[in-house]
Amino acid sequence: MISFFRVIKFAFQGFFRNFWLSLVTVTMMLMALFSTTLLIGIDYIKEATLEGVNKKVDILVSLKVDTDREDVELLATDLETMTEVKKVTIITPEENRVLYEQSNLDEQAKKVLEIFAPDENPFGFSLAVQANNLSQYDAILSFIGQDKYKNLVDNSDFNDFDTFVAKIENLSKVINKYSWYVILAFLLISIVVIFNTIRISIYSRKDEIQIMKLVGAGNWFVKMPFILESILYAVASVALLIVVVYPIINFIQPSLNAYFQDVNVINILEYFHSNFFRIFGLQFLVLALINILSTSIAIRKYLRI
Amino acid sequence: MIQVTNLFKKYGKSTQALKDVNFHIEPGEFVSIVGQSGSGKSTLIKIIIAEEKADKGQVVVGGWDITRIKEREIPTLRRQLGVIFQDYKLLSKKTVFENVAFAMQACGFKQKDITKTVHQMLALVGLKDKENRYPHQLSGGEQQRVAIARSLVHKPKLLVADEPTGNLDSINTREIIDLLKKINNLGTTIVLVTHNKDVVNGLKSRVITLDNGVLISDQSQGRYLL
Repeated sequence: MISFFRVIKFAFQGFFRNFWLSLVTVTMMLMALFSTTLLIGIDYIKEATLEGVNKKVDILVSLKVDTDREDVELLATDLETMTEVKKVTIITPEENRVLYEQSNLDEQAKKVLEIFAPDENPFGFSLAVQANNLSQYDAILSFIGQDKYKNLVDNSDFNDFDTFVAKIENLSKVINKYSWYVILAFLLISIVVIFNTIRISIYSRKDEIQIMKLVGAGNWFVKMPFILESILYAVASVALLIVVVYPIINFIQPSLNAYFQDVNVINILEYFHSNFFRIFGLQFLVLALINILSTSIAIRKYLRI
Repeated sequence: MIQVTNLFKKYGKSTQALKDVNFHIEPGEFVSIVGQSGSGKSTLIKIIIAEEKADKGQVVVGGWDITRIKEREIPTLRRQLGVIFQDYKLLSKKTVFENVAFAMQACGFKQKDITKTVHQMLALVGLKDKENRYPHQLSGGEQQRVAIARSLVHKPKLLVADEPTGNLDSINTREIIDLLKKINNLGTTIVLVTHNKDVVNGLKSRVITLDNGVLISDQSQGRYLL
C-alpha cells in the first residue's frame, strides 16, 4: 500500500517536474485528439445536412381546382396510412395564392393573378407529403400515381424530383463510404503519433529509468509511475481538448445557422452537449489505453538492466 | 564477501574483456581494482552488480551466485549492495533528500524510517543543509557525496565504487576517498575501481591490477603498477 501511494506521488512529480516534456507530449496528443474530434464534427455536419435536406424535401401534389375538401382529406388520410409517409400537410387554395404571391417569381408572372377578380381563386388544394427518408419517395410517388387518384391530381413534376432525390441519396452513400476510410486513416495516424510521442518521452528519460533500476528498484516500482503519468497525459489532453473545442463550436454555430437559414438544421453545440461522454469520455479511454500500451512497450527495453 | 572464480567475458567475437580472472575479497576489506582504460575493470563491476552477465566462471557476492541470478532477483541483490558511479547517476528531477530516499522507498521502508535515516546519512556526508537542492545546484563533489549517501542508506555490507573521483578535482577527490575510508572503518567492504595513481598509492591497501582483461597482480598493501 505504501508503494502504491509512492507510485502515485512519483507519477505526479514526474508529470509536473518534467513540465516542458509533459507540455510537448500533451500538445502532440491534443493535436491527435483535435483531428479526431474535427472528424466527428464534420461527420455530424454531413449527417445533419443530409437530414436537413431530407426534412426540407417534400412532394407537392397539386390537386384539381374543383376538388372538394372531403376528397382532399380522404387522399391525405390514405397517404398517412403509408408507413413511408412521415407527414401530410394540406395547403388550402387561399394559402396557395399567398404562397404564389410571396414566391420568388418575377413581377410579370405575378401579374397573371390580376386577370382574376379579388374573390376569384385560380388555385386548388395541394398536399405537401414528406417521407421518412429519401429512398421512400419512389413508393409515395407510385401511390399517388394510382388510377383512383387520377381525377384528383392535377399536376406533378415527378421526374425531375425523382432525379434530385436519387442524386442526394447517391451523394450520401458516397460520403458515408469514403468518410470511413478517412476516419480510419486519421485514427491510424493519431495512434502512430501518440505511440511515437510516448516513445520519445520515455527515451528522453531512459537515464532516470536505468538509475532507478541500478539502485535496486523493481520493474513494477519503476514502470508504474510512468504508466500513471501516461494516464495523466490523457487527462490533460482531453481537458485541453474540451477547452479548445467549445469556443470553436460557439464560434462556427452562427455561421452554420446563417448558411442553412435555419437554426435547427445543424446544432453542433447541442450535438456535443448531448454526446459529451461519448465523444470526450471515449476519446479519453482510447487515449489512456494507447498510452498505457505505448508506455509498457517503450519502457521495456530500458528496464533490462 | 566476493569470490570470483575463472571469470570470462567477451564482447562480440574478438574483444575479450575478462580472461580467467580469480580473486577473493574478505568482509571489511578495502580493495582497489586498477588498470588502464579497456583493462576490464568496469566490466568486472558490471558483472558484480548484475548489469552484465558473465560468459563463463562464477561470481559469488555475499553467498549469492550471481552468475546464475534470475532477472527478478536482480533488484534484491542490488538492495544489498551500495554502488557509486563516476557520473554520480542522480535523478535530476529529484531533490537531494528525494534522491537518497529513493533507494529506501524502492525497498519498501516506512516513511518515518526513511526520513530519519536519510537525515543521518546526509549529515554523515556533510550535506544536511542542502537536502532540498536539486543535483544541478550542487558541485561535482557534493553530487558524489549525495550518491555515496544514497548507496549507504540501506546499510549495505559491500560498497562498489566505479571511478568515483573520475570527474572531480584533487580536493574533492581527497574528500571522497576520506569518506570511503571512514565508511570502511565502520565495517563496510569497499571495492574501488580507479585509474588514479595518487589515490591508490595513498590508500596503502590491497590492489588488484588488471591488464587487457587479465589479473596480473594482487598485492595486499600494493601500489599502482602500470
